[in-house]
Amino acid sequence: MRPGTKRLWVPAGLVALIVLLALLAPLLGLPDPVRQDVAQRLAGPMPGSPLGRDEFGRDVLSRLIWGARSSLAVAFASASIACLFGTILGLLGGWFRGLGEFLAVRSMDIVLCFPPVLLALLVVTLLGPGAGTLIMVLSVLYLPGFVRVTYAEVLSARSHDYVEAVRALGASAGRILTRTVLPNVAGPILVQFSLAVASAVVLESGLSFLGLGVVPPAPSWGLMIRGARATMAQAPLLLLWPCLALTLTILAMNLLCDALRDAMDPRTATARPRLRLLDRVLPGLVPPAPNAEAPEAVLEVGGLTVEIATPRGPIRPVEDVSFAVHAGETLAIVGESGSGKSVTATSVMGLLPPAARPVAGAAWLEGRDLLRLPEPELRRLRGGAMAMVFQDPMSSLNPVHRVGDQIAEAIRAHRRGVTQAQAWSRAVDLLRRVGIADPERRARAYPHEMSGGMRQRVMIAMAVANEPKLLIADEPTTALDVTVQAQILDLLAELRRETGMALIFITHSLGVVAEIADRVVVMYAGQVVEQGSVPEVFGAPLHPYTRALLAAVPDGDTAPAGIPGVVPQPHAFPVGCRFAARCPHAKPACEAAPPALEGAGEGRTVRCIRWAEIGAKKAEAVA
Amino acid sequence: MSAATPPLVEATGLSKTFAARGVFRRGRPVQAVRRVDVSVARGEALGVVGESGSGKSTLGRLLLGLQPATEGVIRFDGQPLDATMPKAEWRRLRRRMQIVFQDPFGSLDPRRRIGAQIADGLAIHDLVPAAERAGRVEELLRQVGLDPTHAQRFPHEFSGGQRQRIGIARALATGPEFLVADEPVSALDVSIQAQVVALMDDLRRRLGLALLFISHDLPVVRHLCDRVVVMYLGRVMEEGSAEELFRAPAHPYTRALLSATPRIDPARRAKRILLQGEPPSPSNPPSGCAFRTRCAHATAACAEVVPELRPLGGERRVACIRAEEIA
Amino acid sequence: MGWVARRIGVSLLLVWIVASIVFLAIHLVPGDPAELLLSSGGVAPDPGAVAELRDRLGLNLPLAQQYVSFLSGVVRGDLGTSLVDEYPVLDEILLRLPRTLELIAAGALIAVLVGIPAGTLAALRRGSAFDRIASGVAALLLAVPVFVVGTLLVLVFAQILRWMPAGGYVPLAEDPWRHLTLLALPALAIGKGLVAVVFRMTRASVLDALSRDFVRTARAKGLSPSRVLMRHVVRNALIPVLTVLALHMGTLLGGTVLVEYVFNWPGLSTPLLRAVEARDYPMVVGIVLTISALFVLLNLVMDLVYAALDPRIRHA
Repeated sequence: MRPGTKRLWVPAGLVALIVLLALLAPLLGLPDPVRQDVAQRLAGPMPGSPLGRDEFGRDVLSRLIWGARSSLAVAFASASIACLFGTILGLLGGWFRGLGEFLAVRSMDIVLCFPPVLLALLVVTLLGPGAGTLIMVLSVLYLPGFVRVTYAEVLSARSHDYVEAVRALGASAGRILTRTVLPNVAGPILVQFSLAVASAVVLESGLSFLGLGVVPPAPSWGLMIRGARATMAQAPLLLLWPCLALTLTILAMNLLCDALRDAMDPRTATARPRLRLLDRVLPGLVPPAPNAEAPEAVLEVGGLTVEIATPRGPIRPVEDVSFAVHAGETLAIVGESGSGKSVTATSVMGLLPPAARPVAGAAWLEGRDLLRLPEPELRRLRGGAMAMVFQDPMSSLNPVHRVGDQIAEAIRAHRRGVTQAQAWSRAVDLLRRVGIADPERRARAYPHEMSGGMRQRVMIAMAVANEPKLLIADEPTTALDVTVQAQILDLLAELRRETGMALIFITHSLGVVAEIADRVVVMYAGQVVEQGSVPEVFGAPLHPYTRALLAAVPDGDTAPAGIPGVVPQPHAFPVGCRFAARCPHAKPACEAAPPALEGAGEGRTVRCIRWAEIGAKKAEAVA
Repeated sequence: MSAATPPLVEATGLSKTFAARGVFRRGRPVQAVRRVDVSVARGEALGVVGESGSGKSTLGRLLLGLQPATEGVIRFDGQPLDATMPKAEWRRLRRRMQIVFQDPFGSLDPRRRIGAQIADGLAIHDLVPAAERAGRVEELLRQVGLDPTHAQRFPHEFSGGQRQRIGIARALATGPEFLVADEPVSALDVSIQAQVVALMDDLRRRLGLALLFISHDLPVVRHLCDRVVVMYLGRVMEEGSAEELFRAPAHPYTRALLSATPRIDPARRAKRILLQGEPPSPSNPPSGCAFRTRCAHATAACAEVVPELRPLGGERRVACIRAEEIA
Repeated sequence: MGWVARRIGVSLLLVWIVASIVFLAIHLVPGDPAELLLSSGGVAPDPGAVAELRDRLGLNLPLAQQYVSFLSGVVRGDLGTSLVDEYPVLDEILLRLPRTLELIAAGALIAVLVGIPAGTLAALRRGSAFDRIASGVAALLLAVPVFVVGTLLVLVFAQILRWMPAGGYVPLAEDPWRHLTLLALPALAIGKGLVAVVFRMTRASVLDALSRDFVRTARAKGLSPSRVLMRHVVRNALIPVLTVLALHMGTLLGGTVLVEYVFNWPGLSTPLLRAVEARDYPMVVGIVLTISALFVLLNLVMDLVYAALDPRIRHA
């Protein structure tokens, strides 16, 4: 059972209790709810009538319970009718498209033109009050909800590959609708059903309150409130009971709807947790790694370890990561998904989600440890001395602001006294610099009016707006076509040459690393496994993982070889070498203790206890 | 190969135009595929490469009849595919052609056990008696390198690479002769990519499948495919054997594409031909040669007529009027 | 600007369809309106009177002709006269509609002023005591029907505490202070549901906006938290909030009936309810038509505002 379902039980139990009471009303031995006894008019609690009597001397408790019966009967009947017809209309409209779709969806727009209470009043005028009229009106009113929900879900289901797959298998429309589409839309329809019932209870009681719903003397909560209003000066409690009953019922139903919706939402069930909430000040940090000599590198990261609190306990997606990048140099961090390369970058920028925090290590930029800097100072550095370009340029730009404004904003955030006009003209210059034709016009464009490559150029213009010393590019070309990727790589290399900034380039593509980087850090399962200059690491890899990764890329004439197995999950990292389970050279010693990052020549490190041994064997085999 | 055996799937003059959306049908229609001739022989792996908007995915769906073509004829094993064909006829053909999708997460129904999803094809076509289906599913799982005891699990219990294997097993269930693989490894990590590519290569050789492999990753295509078709803005720019086409690309676009592909080995790195700008919108393609707006060799003549896909020796065909000149 | 013209065209079309449906509903429903109107308490009406009324209402003409004269009346702004007192329907509506709109505007104002700041704060402090309490209150407010709130407000403030009048109406020009005190309780009753809706929507969409990549970009630019919040989070989060607000204000156009009834507010609901009970067709049709047209208009305005806020819509 999912954790979300726990929230279901309380409201579900309450609703079940109310429904049960209403169903069992005739068996409870209650006094006749319509029998009048004028002598006992407005009497207080008395034996047989724990809640007293109403203005006609009828038993209040009995009327409450019988009232639930009529309210719920109307509500369930109308919601069921609307659900049945709405679902069918929505399924057909969504699946067959064309004229049927147009009629099904557009006719619902017309129903939605009438405010609900008004439509009900119109129908009551025509047909006269009564439960039958109510059920009819309410079913019509809730029909559009079901049609729309079903229609939207069918459309989205249609676009799913798994529906296309069943179609490709040759399944008939009926089979697809009942076997594949309906189970996937059942959740939202159930939520819609509970919403309709709750809202029907409200409308029914409202109309009865106006005297246009259930016909007296039949008991109904709306009618009871209407009656008690007249005598509220003498007997305010009479008003309270039906109000309470009504509110409690609707509250329970609403809570049930909310809980159902949460439980049905596939995002809460399967997707990874949403991270990246607005920054609050980073928590206090552990003792820093002292760095005595002045750092000559632009950025020097030492022993960085990041911890994320998860329901299954803390995990460390990044552990003991160290590297340095110098001015004018391009450092590539390469790794597969789950290697921790992006977490490393975001922790340097101070953009980690609140659940994650660096627990050890330091990141020195211009003599200051970024991991221990208070948020206001870090903010001055972000977008100033260090800047970042993200993977998806569409979602990374704000869709509602012009791109020129978004660049100008970056400039004005770091330079006091720059006017909007000055910032704007600088933004236009920057757009020209990153190779956007007609920058004056383009600065006025919104992100959706640009192509993917152009958006990424805008992101780069924004990042270099304040001449950063360090630019971190997190998979900046992954979402782009290969010819556009080549343009962006050239642009970044050119900017780096011109400005002398240090560039950290995060990617999963070894080819891109070879094209752009001077040095490379290879990461696997949260750790650095090998580090060195690109020609050395790619020409003579020392770590078995680097070697396997290079062999997996189809580049030479030999067929690419996959690496068996999968990357371990952060909550199940092994004690010893994290690659051992997939490594052809693994020995029992590899799994016994965590291997250290060893020096292996000038600027070269490797995390493998057998690297020298394996290297010697390779050399022998070649000879 | 294509000369010796008659093609299993053959399309001539295939076009697909998507009408603009909305009630009022405003905006220009998108010409996704324009007058494409393509054929795949039994046992042959044909690669279709191109960037986004080149129409390569649409081409795959057209060949499977999952979308009706606006123009052109498709023949499957000699029989023309036609939207007006009786439903039963269609279903019989469906069994013989299948598809594998790109997204390992969206291509499996999250609410059904994978065994049931693999068995769908068996049930729809009544290929195996119900009692024997479980056994056949286990066999299929083993065939794609998965643990046969996992049939009762749900998709979310598998990794991306494993899901892609499940998708392949589902496609193989009906015993197809023609398989369209639409970017099947693009969403996977490099080390997993190589596993799945090796599996597809192995299956196609063992089962004698005709494979249409759609990809934007040229090195993968080079390793897997016999022949390659290069598409740009809905048109075929160049076609030829993988070996020849990658060694000596004839079309300026193919060259640009190859040179833009990042290579690990510096010795293999071609001189970079940097294309300007991005592909024009398929709803508003340039006149004449679709590629001329980004081509370094374009002349006035390129804007006038749509260059025909013409033979260039052997299986090689190219749609460029200056191919010999600029070689 | 073709999009705006098209959108206005669709709205006009909808109003026309609504008018036609209302017309057809009255004429196609089984039973003769004239007979229904005159029959009371199960006594069969006098055939002579029925015939006379049929004649007066034009019910003897062919349906098509009745439809044309009804539509041309609507276009000219002539909604006929009440069957009960022969008062022109349009005059009655023009007199009372502003009062109803005033109630809705006051309710919406309360909702925006309370709901948006509270929703934003709850999202920023997700899981805090404030968030929990505010969310709980919102759930409760959503659950209490509007007439229950109204009745209880009257009970507490007018009957028990005697702070406020139980209901009624005084024109603003006559006595501004009294006008406002009389407005306060009904506006609160109307606003209660809206506050909850706006609160929930704001909270959800601020949370959603916070998790977006462009917020990370804004932070990576080094913007101050207040600027990130106002320009990038709230600006984007407001778009769905506005849609929901518009939708619910539309529902309120009809929903005020209950509140006006409880507080004796002389808006459109008094003549509407009276007309429904008396089967005064011209009056019911006139009011339903006016409110539906307003509803459509409101949606139109909101779509235009939406387009102004979200540049992507204009091209869709």
